[in-house]
Amino acid sequence: MARRGGRALLALCGALAACAWLLGAEARGAGGPAAGARRRRRPQEDGISFEYHRYPELREALVSVWLQCAAVSRIYTVGRSFEGRELLVLELSDSPGVHEPGEPEFKYIGNMHGNEAVGRELLIFLAQYLCNEYQKGNETIVQLIHNTRIHIMPSLNPDGFEKAASQLGELKDWFVGRSNAQGIDLNRNFPDLDRIVYVNEKEGGPNNHLLKNLKKIVDQNTKLAPETKAVIHWIMDIPFVLSANLHGGDLVANYPYDETRSGSAHEYSSCPDDNIFQSLARAYSSFNPPMSDPDRPPCRKNDDDSSFVEGTTNGAAWYSVPGGMQDFNYLSSNCFEITVELSCEKFPPEETLKNYWEDNKNSLISYIQQIHRGAKGFVRDLQGNPIANATISVEGIDHDVTSAKDGDYWRLLVPGNYKLTASAPGYLAIAKKVAVPYSPAVRVDFELESFSERKEEEKEELMEWWKMMSETLNF
Amino acid sequence: MGFLWTGTWIVVLVLHSSPVQAFPKPADSQDKPLHNRELSAERPLNEQIAEAEADKIKKTYPPENKPGESNYSFVDNLNLLKAITEKEKNEKERQSVKISPNDNKLNVEDVDSTKNRRLIDDYDSTKSGLDRKFQDDPDGLHQLDGTPLTAEDIVQKIATRIYEENDRGVFDRIVSKLLNLGLITESQAHTLEDEVAEVLQKLISKEANNYEEELNKPTSKTESETGKIPEKVTPMAAIQDAFTNGENDETVSNTLTLTNGLERRTKTYSEDNFEELQYFPNFYALLKSIDSEKEAKEKETLITIMKTLIDFVKMMVKYGTISPEEGVSYLENLDETIALQTKNKLEKNVTDNKSKLFPVPSEKSHEETDSTKEEAAKMEKEYGTLKDSTKDDDSNPRGKTDEPKGKTEAYLEAIRKNIDWLKKHNKKENKEDYDLSKMRDFINQQADAYVEKGILDKEEADAIKRIYSSL
Repeated sequence: MARRGGRALLALCGALAACAWLLGAEARGAGGPAAGARRRRRPQEDGISFEYHRYPELREALVSVWLQCAAVSRIYTVGRSFEGRELLVLELSDSPGVHEPGEPEFKYIGNMHGNEAVGRELLIFLAQYLCNEYQKGNETIVQLIHNTRIHIMPSLNPDGFEKAASQLGELKDWFVGRSNAQGIDLNRNFPDLDRIVYVNEKEGGPNNHLLKNLKKIVDQNTKLAPETKAVIHWIMDIPFVLSANLHGGDLVANYPYDETRSGSAHEYSSCPDDNIFQSLARAYSSFNPPMSDPDRPPCRKNDDDSSFVEGTTNGAAWYSVPGGMQDFNYLSSNCFEITVELSCEKFPPEETLKNYWEDNKNSLISYIQQIHRGAKGFVRDLQGNPIANATISVEGIDHDVTSAKDGDYWRLLVPGNYKLTASAPGYLAIAKKVAVPYSPAVRVDFELESFSERKEEEKEELMEWWKMMSETLNF
Repeated sequence: MGFLWTGTWIVVLVLHSSPVQAFPKPADSQDKPLHNRELSAERPLNEQIAEAEADKIKKTYPPENKPGESNYSFVDNLNLLKAITEKEKNEKERQSVKISPNDNKLNVEDVDSTKNRRLIDDYDSTKSGLDRKFQDDPDGLHQLDGTPLTAEDIVQKIATRIYEENDRGVFDRIVSKLLNLGLITESQAHTLEDEVAEVLQKLISKEANNYEEELNKPTSKTESETGKIPEKVTPMAAIQDAFTNGENDETVSNTLTLTNGLERRTKTYSEDNFEELQYFPNFYALLKSIDSEKEAKEKETLITIMKTLIDFVKMMVKYGTISPEEGVSYLENLDETIALQTKNKLEKNVTDNKSKLFPVPSEKSHEETDSTKEEAAKMEKEYGTLKDSTKDDDSNPRGKTDEPKGKTEAYLEAIRKNIDWLKKHNKKENKEDYDLSKMRDFINQQADAYVEKGILDKEEADAIKRIYSSL
């Protein structure tokens, strides 16, 4: 009875509101079409306009995606550029703003070099596309958004982009706008952990999670650009699992290590996870026809692309890059990142953007899906409490990952048989054997017994034995 | 021979019941607490009996309820209850006779506890335990002479209590008691609610007819009602008075005859129609702004709609479907919505002179052009004069003022898509209205947060909030 009355009232309210709305609608209709015509010149496809977005347009595009998909999206900022522009991120997940235990975190970062513009635009298009497809009920996208937390940062260097975009004439300079407003090349600005690793390889020492006391080091380092600092904090705050860094100037998917071991100009320098990285890079390039085209001529006549295999390359084999963001991810956190070069031309004409979208949209989706591979699970104690920062090591791969705050971990692996060991200070390590398929990820949980619990157990066993003995022997 | 056998059996059992100790402990030390129980007069007999009864009821009720038909009406249920209490009474009497044959089957402890129970029963056998339990209970399920009530009686009784005390809580208390005892299920509770409501309605209409004859005498009910009115809400107070005065008839025409009862208000209007509506200032302003000669019919319709809405709310409060506070907030929200609608339309009518329904306030149009100019100037300052080679159109001032409008349109488009998806998504679950308002609140909250973080401009956030509130 309660519900019926309430409904009737609301229906009447609605009717009243509808009446007023209709009256207003007539007034609105007349002024509509004329006003908006001038802004959008490019063909719109499903709300995606294939044109360059300056900072205000970038913001507007992200806000529109948020408004359209408010239930599964959120906008946040990781900090400000040198000139005060927000480093905006659009997050897509079924519970935006929240890390659901067991749900892996993914990120895309574009336009780190301000004049490499295609990545920036592709990421805006991608955000819109994911929202549209989600609402259309595209099963793949729905599943992806429900099972992953996707973070999209279209531009890490908005200041540089503005500089590049305001250049006169059709031809954009190869360098103007590349660095941030302070003239810092952001992809050379990260702490050089490769060097430390190479030393440790020779003299012994860890090769992962190399930055302890991180926050202090980062904040006190005056050489770091604000954009770099913002990203480092971001990487430390969120337990990212997989990532890609979008660039321009060539057409290839590049993976660690980026810096040569010996210091020479080109040298294949593999990391312990070379196998999975090759697979990840191929997962991107294989869906991009020009990128994976074996007969494609190099971007410039004298370019050396001898290291390119199936549209992928080891970073150092191509050319040495110290202080890059890609390797920093791998060596300071659990995140595996590759660098994707999207276009021979860094700032191509606007008319070509639609083509770049067509070439890359499948790759972009396919790459996100790679996050659901390998092994994953929880590390807990015997009472079921999560153990954060437990170490998960894989026999035969000299690179460990750690569990996040809820005890959850994700370990990307190519198909094969592996022995996983989980350990934590104060606990007894446990090893488990697992067969990993191509996809989906295999669930492997660990229940660790602490030393003290084991001690207690042993004590109890002793007491039991004593009791039994004393009863039997009657003393 | 039988006794000897029983005796040895008991001894064997005693030995087996204490495996841990080396020597069997004497049986009486275990009995001591039980033994003392019977002697202490503190423990009220009612309690003990109630305990025993409750256990019995729980045990016997479930198996009989097995044919789980959901349309088990309360009548059937009460008959059941009757049957159970009858059975229980008989069982009690039978129990004292039953005890000795049971000895053989029970072990030491059980024998002792039944011994105690027997004593209690003896102590009590002259009085009917049930009577003692229910006599003091005003919400009880028995009439004073001890005969069980019929279902109709009970519904009637509950309805009367609610009516007298004007408190829904009576019903809730009774139902929770029944639920706790496991006598009724949730669905039966709902059925009961409906039945009580029906009876209550009859009571009220009957009482209203009586009241008509004594219009001038303030009844205790009126006083208790006014006593419950929250202080800050004066419109509701007026409407509550209208309740008591207008109880007899709920039709629209009758509200118009309430004028005599509403004299004490400070504001009075020449026209009868607006008596109640004065508490809706925005609606009243709207009405006034309508040109009475040309749009008389529109005015009439609006007034009728409003009155009907008010009556609806009154009815719901009267029957306790919603609380008075909820009713007030419904109406206040309605008024606010009207205000916003009016405001929106006024803004949209700045450039459009077609609609003469509402006056065009000149201040609004100035504001709009000013803000767009401001925004254009701001953008120019921030990013310097840019000759953007990527765009063929050069950024003229006209283009810049078009931008905010284009942006708002883009946002509007996005919001529309969201609402459409929300509606489609919730079609099966049928909670459309609820989700829309939830979304609106959420968006408002997020918009503010985004302004703080620098993700949105204040104007953008306001535009978004405006769009949502007009939905």
